[in-house]
Amino acid sequence: MNTLRRAVPLLALAALAAAGCMLTSGQFVATYNLPDPFDVSSLAFAGTSVDLNTISEYEDHKDELKRVEDLALVGNFTNRTSTAAQIEVWIVPDGSLTTLTAQQVQANGTRLWGPLAVAGNSTEKVDWDRSSALFVGRQALIDEVKGDGHFALYVIANGAFSVRVTEGTLIVVVGAAI
Amino acid sequence: MKRGWWAVFVGLALLAPAARAGTITILGGVFGGMSFPVLQDDQGQGSLFGARAPVRLLPLLAVEPFYSTSALGDKTIESSPGFEVTREGSDVTTYGVNVMLPFGTKTLLYPYAGIGSAHFERNGQDESFTSYNLGLGLGFTVMPKFALDVRGELQAASSGETSRKMFNVTLGASYSIFSTP
Repeated sequence: MNTLRRAVPLLALAALAAAGCMLTSGQFVATYNLPDPFDVSSLAFAGTSVDLNTISEYEDHKDELKRVEDLALVGNFTNRTSTAAQIEVWIVPDGSLTTLTAQQVQANGTRLWGPLAVAGNSTEKVDWDRSSALFVGRQALIDEVKGDGHFALYVIANGAFSVRVTEGTLIVVVGAAI
Repeated sequence: MKRGWWAVFVGLALLAPAARAGTITILGGVFGGMSFPVLQDDQGQGSLFGARAPVRLLPLLAVEPFYSTSALGDKTIESSPGFEVTREGSDVTTYGVNVMLPFGTKTLLYPYAGIGSAHFERNGQDESFTSYNLGLGLGFTVMPKFALDVRGELQAASSGETSRKMFNVTLGASYSIFSTP
Protein backbone atom coordinates (compact mmCIF):
# COMPACT_ATOMS: atom_id res chain seq x y z
CA MET A 1 0.00 0.00 0.00
CA ASN A 2 2.83 2.37 0.84
CA THR A 3 4.25 1.74 -2.60
CA LEU A 4 0.95 2.66 -4.15
CA ARG A 5 0.66 5.79 -2.01
CA ARG A 6 3.91 6.93 -3.50
CA ALA A 7 2.59 6.33 -7.00
CA VAL A 8 0.85 9.66 -7.51
CA PRO A 9 3.73 11.87 -6.33
CA LEU A 10 6.14 9.80 -8.41
CA LEU A 11 3.85 10.03 -11.42
CA ALA A 12 3.62 13.78 -10.92
CA LEU A 13 7.40 14.10 -10.68
CA ALA A 14 7.83 11.92 -13.77
CA ALA A 15 5.37 14.11 -15.66
CA LEU A 16 7.22 17.24 -14.60
CA ALA A 17 10.55 15.72 -15.60
CA ALA A 18 9.13 14.64 -18.96
CA ALA A 19 7.82 18.13 -19.48
CA GLY A 20 11.28 19.63 -19.06
CA CYS A 21 11.20 23.38 -18.90
CA MET A 22 7.64 23.64 -20.16
CA LEU A 23 6.32 24.81 -16.82
CA THR A 24 8.60 27.83 -16.93
CA SER A 25 7.46 29.00 -20.34
CA GLY A 26 4.74 31.30 -21.57
CA GLN A 27 3.14 32.94 -24.60
CA PHE A 28 4.12 36.56 -25.11
CA VAL A 29 2.71 39.05 -27.63
CA ALA A 30 5.15 41.25 -29.55
CA THR A 31 3.75 43.99 -31.79
CA TYR A 32 5.63 45.90 -34.49
CA ASN A 33 4.01 49.01 -35.92
CA LEU A 34 4.42 49.63 -39.64
CA PRO A 35 4.93 53.21 -40.88
CA ASP A 36 1.62 55.04 -40.50
CA PRO A 37 0.44 55.68 -43.11
CA PHE A 38 2.29 53.18 -45.29
CA ASP A 39 1.61 54.24 -48.89
CA VAL A 40 2.51 52.00 -51.78
CA SER A 41 1.66 52.28 -55.46
CA SER A 42 2.77 50.73 -58.69
CA LEU A 43 4.43 54.07 -59.53
CA ALA A 44 6.11 54.55 -56.13
CA PHE A 45 6.88 50.99 -55.13
CA ALA A 46 8.89 50.37 -51.95
CA GLY A 47 9.07 48.03 -49.00
CA THR A 48 9.53 48.68 -45.32
CA SER A 49 12.28 47.33 -43.14
CA VAL A 50 11.09 45.44 -40.07
CA ASP A 51 13.51 44.94 -37.19
CA LEU A 52 11.85 43.03 -34.38
CA ASN A 53 14.92 43.63 -32.21
CA THR A 54 13.67 47.17 -31.66
CA ILE A 55 10.69 45.97 -29.61
CA SER A 56 11.23 44.99 -26.00
CA GLU A 57 8.84 42.01 -25.89
CA TYR A 58 10.86 40.32 -28.64
CA GLU A 59 14.25 41.39 -27.36
CA ASP A 60 13.39 40.19 -23.83
CA HIS A 61 12.48 36.68 -24.98
CA LYS A 62 14.62 36.24 -28.09
CA ASP A 63 17.30 34.14 -26.40
CA GLU A 64 14.75 31.80 -24.87
CA LEU A 65 12.42 31.74 -27.86
CA LYS A 66 11.21 28.18 -28.47
CA ARG A 67 8.21 28.48 -30.72
CA VAL A 68 6.17 30.95 -32.78
CA GLU A 69 2.61 30.39 -31.58
CA ASP A 70 0.62 32.87 -33.64
CA LEU A 71 1.03 35.55 -36.32
CA ALA A 72 -1.13 38.39 -37.57
CA LEU A 73 -0.92 41.50 -39.72
CA VAL A 74 -3.68 43.90 -38.75
CA GLY A 75 -4.70 47.35 -39.90
CA ASN A 76 -6.81 49.31 -42.35
CA PHE A 77 -6.12 48.57 -46.01
CA THR A 78 -7.39 51.30 -48.38
CA ASN A 79 -7.60 50.87 -52.13
CA ARG A 80 -7.10 54.35 -53.56
CA THR A 81 -8.03 53.47 -57.12
CA SER A 82 -11.47 52.92 -58.64
CA THR A 83 -10.79 49.30 -59.60
CA ALA A 84 -10.91 46.37 -57.20
CA ALA A 85 -7.55 45.30 -55.78
CA GLN A 86 -6.18 42.00 -54.59
CA ILE A 87 -3.68 43.03 -51.93
CA GLU A 88 -0.80 40.79 -50.91
CA VAL A 89 2.11 41.17 -48.50
CA TRP A 90 5.46 39.67 -49.40
CA ILE A 91 8.50 39.06 -47.21
CA VAL A 92 12.17 39.39 -48.21
CA PRO A 93 14.66 37.95 -45.69
CA ASP A 94 17.22 40.76 -46.11
CA GLY A 95 15.84 43.69 -44.16
CA SER A 96 18.00 46.19 -46.02
CA LEU A 97 16.38 45.42 -49.39
CA THR A 98 13.54 47.93 -49.41
CA THR A 99 13.94 49.29 -52.93
CA LEU A 100 13.30 46.19 -55.02
CA THR A 101 10.86 46.20 -57.91
CA ALA A 102 7.67 44.16 -57.68
CA GLN A 103 9.18 41.60 -60.06
CA GLN A 104 12.32 41.33 -57.92
CA VAL A 105 10.24 40.88 -54.78
CA GLN A 106 8.25 38.08 -56.39
CA ALA A 107 11.47 36.46 -57.62
CA ASN A 108 13.40 36.70 -54.33
CA GLY A 109 10.73 36.80 -51.66
CA THR A 110 7.83 34.75 -50.35
CA ARG A 111 4.18 35.63 -50.40
CA LEU A 112 3.37 36.00 -46.73
CA TRP A 113 -0.23 37.08 -46.59
CA GLY A 114 -3.25 37.59 -48.82
CA PRO A 115 -4.81 38.11 -51.22
CA LEU A 116 -7.16 40.53 -49.51
CA ALA A 117 -9.91 41.71 -51.85
CA VAL A 118 -10.64 45.44 -51.50
CA ALA A 119 -13.24 47.16 -53.68
CA GLY A 120 -12.37 50.38 -55.49
CA ASN A 121 -12.01 53.46 -53.30
CA SER A 122 -12.80 51.56 -50.12
CA THR A 123 -11.14 50.37 -46.94
CA GLU A 124 -11.04 46.95 -45.34
CA LYS A 125 -10.31 46.72 -41.64
CA VAL A 126 -8.41 43.51 -40.95
CA ASP A 127 -8.53 42.28 -37.37
CA TRP A 128 -6.51 39.54 -35.70
CA ASP A 129 -8.81 36.61 -36.46
CA ARG A 130 -9.32 37.56 -40.11
CA SER A 131 -5.61 38.15 -40.55
CA SER A 132 -4.67 34.73 -39.20
CA ALA A 133 -6.71 33.11 -41.95
CA LEU A 134 -4.92 35.16 -44.63
CA PHE A 135 -1.42 33.87 -43.85
CA VAL A 136 -0.02 31.67 -46.60
CA GLY A 137 3.72 31.96 -45.95
CA ARG A 138 3.69 31.38 -42.24
CA GLN A 139 6.95 29.41 -42.23
CA ALA A 140 8.90 32.22 -43.93
CA LEU A 141 7.98 34.61 -41.13
CA ILE A 142 8.59 32.00 -38.45
CA ASP A 143 12.10 31.50 -39.87
CA GLU A 144 12.74 35.24 -39.59
CA VAL A 145 11.31 35.51 -36.08
CA LYS A 146 13.53 32.62 -34.97
CA GLY A 147 16.42 34.02 -37.00
CA ASP A 148 17.81 37.56 -36.88
CA GLY A 149 14.37 39.19 -36.61
CA HIS A 150 15.23 41.63 -39.43
CA PHE A 151 13.43 41.45 -42.78
CA ALA A 152 11.55 43.55 -45.34
CA LEU A 153 7.83 43.62 -46.05
CA TYR A 154 6.27 44.68 -49.34
CA VAL A 155 2.64 45.40 -50.18
CA ILE A 156 1.74 44.39 -53.73
CA ALA A 157 -1.56 44.52 -55.59
CA ASN A 158 -2.70 43.65 -59.06
CA GLY A 159 -2.43 46.00 -62.05
CA ALA A 160 -1.90 49.71 -61.53
CA PHE A 161 -2.51 50.04 -57.82
CA SER A 162 -2.37 52.52 -55.00
CA VAL A 163 -2.77 51.21 -51.47
CA ARG A 164 -2.61 52.96 -48.11
CA VAL A 165 -2.13 50.96 -44.92
CA THR A 166 -2.97 52.73 -41.67
CA GLU A 167 -2.56 51.48 -38.13
CA GLY A 168 -0.72 48.53 -39.64
CA THR A 169 0.80 46.21 -37.05
CA LEU A 170 2.61 42.91 -37.23
CA ILE A 171 1.67 40.74 -34.26
CA VAL A 172 3.84 37.80 -33.25
CA VAL A 173 3.03 35.52 -30.32
CA VAL A 174 6.17 33.74 -29.21
CA GLY A 175 6.46 30.77 -26.90
CA ALA A 176 9.49 31.33 -24.72
CA ALA A 177 11.06 30.24 -21.47
CA ILE A 178 10.97 32.73 -18.62
CA MET B 1 2.36 11.02 -26.77
CA LYS B 2 2.37 7.27 -27.46
CA ARG B 3 4.87 6.72 -24.64
CA GLY B 4 2.52 8.48 -22.24
CA TRP B 5 -0.38 6.23 -23.14
CA TRP B 6 1.82 3.14 -22.85
CA ALA B 7 2.75 4.25 -19.34
CA VAL B 8 -0.94 4.54 -18.44
CA PHE B 9 -1.78 1.11 -19.86
CA VAL B 10 1.20 -0.57 -18.18
CA GLY B 11 0.31 1.12 -14.90
CA LEU B 12 -3.29 -0.09 -15.10
CA ALA B 13 -2.14 -3.63 -15.95
CA LEU B 14 0.17 -3.69 -12.94
CA LEU B 15 -2.56 -2.41 -10.64
CA ALA B 16 -5.19 -4.87 -11.78
CA PRO B 17 -3.99 -7.82 -9.63
CA ALA B 18 -3.89 -5.60 -6.57
CA ALA B 19 -7.40 -4.48 -7.23
CA ARG B 20 -8.73 -8.03 -7.14
CA ALA B 21 -8.26 -8.14 -3.40
CA GLY B 22 -10.50 -5.17 -2.62
CA THR B 23 -13.79 -3.54 -3.48
CA ILE B 24 -13.94 -1.79 -6.82
CA THR B 25 -16.30 1.15 -7.18
CA ILE B 26 -17.09 2.86 -10.46
CA LEU B 27 -18.65 6.31 -10.48
CA GLY B 28 -19.94 8.49 -13.25
CA GLY B 29 -19.72 12.24 -12.91
CA VAL B 30 -19.99 15.62 -14.55
CA PHE B 31 -18.25 18.86 -13.72
CA GLY B 32 -18.09 22.48 -14.71
CA GLY B 33 -16.03 25.50 -13.80
CA MET B 34 -13.57 28.06 -15.04
CA SER B 35 -10.26 27.83 -16.86
CA PHE B 36 -7.73 30.59 -16.25
CA PRO B 37 -4.81 30.84 -18.73
CA VAL B 38 -1.42 31.20 -17.04
CA LEU B 39 1.30 33.25 -18.78
CA GLN B 40 -0.69 33.38 -22.02
CA ASP B 41 -0.93 36.89 -23.48
CA ASP B 42 -3.28 35.76 -26.25
CA GLN B 43 -6.04 33.95 -24.32
CA GLY B 44 -8.62 35.02 -21.78
CA GLN B 45 -10.38 33.03 -19.08
CA GLY B 46 -13.31 30.87 -20.06
CA SER B 47 -15.77 28.19 -19.05
CA LEU B 48 -14.96 24.50 -18.65
CA PHE B 49 -17.26 21.46 -18.71
CA GLY B 50 -16.71 17.75 -18.78
CA ALA B 51 -17.40 14.22 -17.66
CA ARG B 52 -15.35 11.67 -15.78
CA ALA B 53 -15.57 8.13 -14.44
CA PRO B 54 -13.53 7.58 -11.29
CA VAL B 55 -12.74 3.92 -10.66
CA ARG B 56 -11.77 3.23 -7.06
CA LEU B 57 -9.47 0.22 -7.22
CA LEU B 58 -8.25 0.31 -3.63
CA PRO B 59 -9.17 2.37 -0.59
CA LEU B 60 -6.28 4.68 -1.34
CA LEU B 61 -6.08 4.48 -5.10
CA ALA B 62 -8.37 5.48 -7.95
CA VAL B 63 -7.97 6.01 -11.67
CA GLU B 64 -10.21 8.33 -13.61
CA PRO B 65 -10.73 8.63 -17.36
CA PHE B 66 -12.00 12.10 -18.17
CA TYR B 67 -13.12 14.32 -21.03
CA SER B 68 -13.45 18.08 -20.91
CA THR B 69 -14.12 20.98 -23.19
CA SER B 70 -13.38 24.62 -22.50
CA ALA B 71 -13.99 27.83 -24.38
CA LEU B 72 -11.19 30.20 -23.50
CA GLY B 73 -12.06 33.88 -23.65
CA ASP B 74 -11.13 36.54 -26.20
CA LYS B 75 -8.10 38.72 -25.61
CA THR B 76 -7.90 42.35 -26.70
CA ILE B 77 -4.62 44.21 -27.08
CA GLU B 78 -3.81 47.73 -28.22
CA SER B 79 -1.79 47.06 -31.37
CA SER B 80 -1.10 50.75 -31.96
CA PRO B 81 -2.15 53.82 -29.98
CA GLY B 82 -5.94 54.01 -30.08
CA PHE B 83 -6.30 50.86 -32.22
CA GLU B 84 -7.40 47.69 -30.47
CA VAL B 85 -7.53 44.21 -31.92
CA THR B 86 -9.15 41.14 -30.43
CA ARG B 87 -8.04 37.54 -30.73
CA GLU B 88 -10.70 34.93 -30.16
CA GLY B 89 -9.96 32.37 -27.44
CA SER B 90 -9.28 28.76 -28.32
CA ASP B 91 -11.76 25.96 -27.92
CA VAL B 92 -9.86 23.31 -25.97
CA THR B 93 -10.86 19.66 -25.90
CA THR B 94 -8.98 17.42 -23.46
CA TYR B 95 -9.22 13.74 -22.68
CA GLY B 96 -7.00 11.57 -20.55
CA VAL B 97 -6.61 9.62 -17.32
CA ASN B 98 -5.98 10.80 -13.77
CA VAL B 99 -4.43 8.74 -10.99
CA MET B 100 -5.72 9.78 -7.59
CA LEU B 101 -4.83 9.11 -3.96
CA PRO B 102 -8.01 9.57 -1.90
CA PHE B 103 -7.71 10.15 1.84
CA GLY B 104 -10.75 9.95 4.09
CA THR B 105 -14.19 8.35 3.95
CA LYS B 106 -17.23 10.62 3.72
CA THR B 107 -15.05 13.62 3.12
CA LEU B 108 -12.22 12.89 0.74
CA LEU B 109 -9.06 14.82 0.08
CA TYR B 110 -7.27 13.61 -3.00
CA PRO B 111 -4.17 14.81 -4.77
CA TYR B 112 -4.01 13.61 -8.35
CA ALA B 113 -1.94 13.68 -11.49
CA GLY B 114 -2.92 12.87 -15.04
CA ILE B 115 -1.90 12.67 -18.66
CA GLY B 116 -3.88 13.05 -21.85
CA SER B 117 -4.29 14.91 -25.09
CA ALA B 118 -5.44 18.52 -25.52
CA HIS B 119 -6.67 19.92 -28.82
CA PHE B 120 -6.70 23.71 -29.36
CA GLU B 121 -8.81 25.16 -32.15
CA ARG B 122 -9.53 28.69 -33.39
CA ASN B 123 -9.00 30.70 -36.60
CA GLY B 124 -5.45 29.92 -37.71
CA GLN B 125 -4.87 27.34 -34.94
CA ASP B 126 -5.60 23.62 -35.07
CA GLU B 127 -3.10 21.86 -32.82
CA SER B 128 -2.89 18.90 -30.47
CA PHE B 129 -0.62 18.71 -27.45
CA THR B 130 0.26 16.22 -24.75
CA SER B 131 -1.56 17.40 -21.65
CA TYR B 132 -0.32 16.98 -18.10
CA ASN B 133 -2.30 17.96 -15.06
CA LEU B 134 -1.66 18.09 -11.37
CA GLY B 135 -4.34 18.95 -8.85
CA LEU B 136 -6.04 18.66 -5.52
CA GLY B 137 -9.67 17.73 -4.93
CA LEU B 138 -12.05 17.75 -2.01
CA GLY B 139 -15.07 15.42 -2.14
CA PHE B 140 -18.16 15.19 0.04
CA THR B 141 -20.61 12.29 0.16
CA VAL B 142 -23.91 14.11 0.51
CA MET B 143 -26.11 11.01 0.36
CA PRO B 144 -25.52 7.30 -0.33
CA LYS B 145 -23.92 6.85 -3.76
CA PHE B 146 -23.91 10.59 -4.47
CA ALA B 147 -20.99 12.92 -3.95
CA LEU B 148 -19.97 16.48 -4.74
CA ASP B 149 -16.44 17.68 -5.25
CA VAL B 150 -14.42 20.80 -5.81
CA ARG B 151 -11.06 20.69 -7.54
CA GLY B 152 -8.18 22.94 -8.49
CA GLU B 153 -5.60 21.83 -11.00
CA LEU B 154 -2.79 23.10 -13.15
CA GLN B 155 -3.01 21.85 -16.73
CA ALA B 156 -0.02 22.12 -19.04
CA ALA B 157 -0.51 21.37 -22.73
CA SER B 158 3.00 20.73 -23.95
CA SER B 159 4.42 21.14 -27.44
CA GLY B 160 7.67 19.60 -26.23
CA GLU B 161 9.46 22.94 -25.98
CA THR B 162 6.83 25.15 -24.42
CA SER B 163 3.39 24.66 -22.97
CA ARG B 164 0.09 26.45 -22.70
CA LYS B 165 -0.89 26.38 -19.05
CA MET B 166 -4.29 26.78 -17.47
CA PHE B 167 -5.43 26.80 -13.87
CA ASN B 168 -8.78 25.03 -13.77
CA VAL B 169 -11.28 25.28 -10.94
CA THR B 170 -14.27 22.95 -11.11
CA LEU B 171 -17.32 21.86 -9.16
CA GLY B 172 -18.52 18.33 -9.85
CA ALA B 173 -21.11 15.73 -8.97
CA SER B 174 -20.72 11.97 -9.20
CA TYR B 175 -22.89 8.91 -8.70
CA SER B 176 -21.79 5.40 -7.83
CA ILE B 177 -22.99 3.21 -10.70
CA PHE B 178 -21.22 -0.05 -9.90
CA SER B 179 -19.54 -1.65 -6.92
CA THR B 180 -18.17 -5.13 -6.30
CA PRO B 181 -19.15 -6.77 -3.02
